[in-house]
Amino acid sequence: MDGLLSVSGLRKVYEGSGRRVEAIRDLTFTVDAGELVCLVGPSGCGKTTLLKCMAGLLTPTSGEVLLEGRPVSGPPPGMAVVFQEYGRSLFPWMRVRENVELPLKQKPLTKERRRELVADALDSVGLGDAAGAYPWQLSGGMQQRVAIARALAYEPDVLLMDEPFAAVDAQTRADLEDLVRGLWRDRGITILFVTHDIDEAVYLGERVLVLSASPTVVQEQLKVDLPAERDQLRTRVAPRFAELRTHVYEQIQAAKRGVAGA
Amino acid sequence: MSGGVRGGGVKRLALRLLFAVALPVLLVAAWWFASAGSTDVYWPPLRTILTTFPDVWTAERLRDDVLPSLLRLLAGYVSAAVVGIALGTVIGSYRRVRAVCEPVLEFLRAVPPPVLVPVIMLFAGIGHTMKIAVIASGCVWPILLNTVEGVRAVDSVMSETARSYGITGAARLRHVVLRSASPQIFAGLRQALSIGIILMVISEMSASSNGLGFTIVQFQRTFAIPDMWTGILVLGLLGFLLSVVFQLVERRVLGWYHGLRASSRRS
Repeated sequence: MDGLLSVSGLRKVYEGSGRRVEAIRDLTFTVDAGELVCLVGPSGCGKTTLLKCMAGLLTPTSGEVLLEGRPVSGPPPGMAVVFQEYGRSLFPWMRVRENVELPLKQKPLTKERRRELVADALDSVGLGDAAGAYPWQLSGGMQQRVAIARALAYEPDVLLMDEPFAAVDAQTRADLEDLVRGLWRDRGITILFVTHDIDEAVYLGERVLVLSASPTVVQEQLKVDLPAERDQLRTRVAPRFAELRTHVYEQIQAAKRGVAGA
Repeated sequence: MSGGVRGGGVKRLALRLLFAVALPVLLVAAWWFASAGSTDVYWPPLRTILTTFPDVWTAERLRDDVLPSLLRLLAGYVSAAVVGIALGTVIGSYRRVRAVCEPVLEFLRAVPPPVLVPVIMLFAGIGHTMKIAVIASGCVWPILLNTVEGVRAVDSVMSETARSYGITGAARLRHVVLRSASPQIFAGLRQALSIGIILMVISEMSASSNGLGFTIVQFQRTFAIPDMWTGILVLGLLGFLLSVVFQLVERRVLGWYHGLRASSRRS
């Protein structure tokens, strides 16, 4: 059956100044409603290109992206993106509340409903008190929480996250990972999480898609059979976690050497 | 404890005030003593200038000369701001338009605005329209060019964020593009203000029956030298006052920008 989000035969070739770069060769996968899928691949494997194609920010050379069966040709209203560069993704001239509210103003919502969504989203990322602050008055981790709140308030069918925690310190990162897991479980949203960090992919995902090196294909799809209740301390030292991460690691090494999936 | 802190605050404020007024006071004192014994007609003692001041700048004169000058400056400046920001946004947003316009803009900007006074006089006569047109035609360039730069420099991630959340068209212009360009736009507005004051005076010197520039030239021609000097003082004070008002507005509109810069300096 078709998933909520399906990518089929996606190919992206960049043409520029006499050089053709095939970033993505042939990608096909689906994400079902309510899933938390992690995309992991070697650095420079076209993860961001893929994400931009899915978000409707880039037009693929061939193939298509379907969201709820409808082809994506521009940014679809049912999708929200959390970018890696929180400092450049939040608007510094707006307070936290206004940052979260601005996308909602493009939707046919009443003022009361907008207020409700904003307050609820900020509460659920633990920033209920920071609504009146400017983003640059907050730490990096808090800024990324604001970006997540903005995405949540938008009530997307699919939440795309592009290496969202690559620029924060390790402890903040662990907190944010648990936040994402918690939001996924509480709200039943569908999340596609792009990362280059193998541990993060295995810890967060219900399923991990391993991408090959550029030109990119899907190297392997892996179900993460860890218990739903995950814990930074116990899960990360569980034998099954170690097996899975070793497996993904080997796949990525193989991908870098250009060996097809086992 | 808090009393001590407050005392320190007052002290710091007093010190800042002292720093701010020290040089002006020194300069005025130097002028005062240097000119005290002057018998030169063109270089009257500051004492004479100051005693002439209240006789020259009566309420009537403020209404008949200063007010028209200010209104023309305001009209020219505001129309330059509207045209400059609107055109600058269009030019800055489209690469093609920019490629076509940029050489022309560079040329037009290089023409010294006072040269336009006789040209504009041919088309617009010698009334208010001419003076407003002269002021606007000089003020528009820094605003236009800075807006172009500001608009084209909108961060790519911010742009993509706006697009992915469906913030397009007028909402994008208002909440993203113009806000992001506002520090640059204000830099242009600030330059334009001093150009505007200069052009206000120049346009009134050539052909006018009232205004600050007209009055000063009139005094000079009738050898009312101390009166002429008071006019120059009024112009200086006016420029200073306008720049203070500008700073107040800027601090309000660009509060976020100064905060952002201060926070990135700290980290």
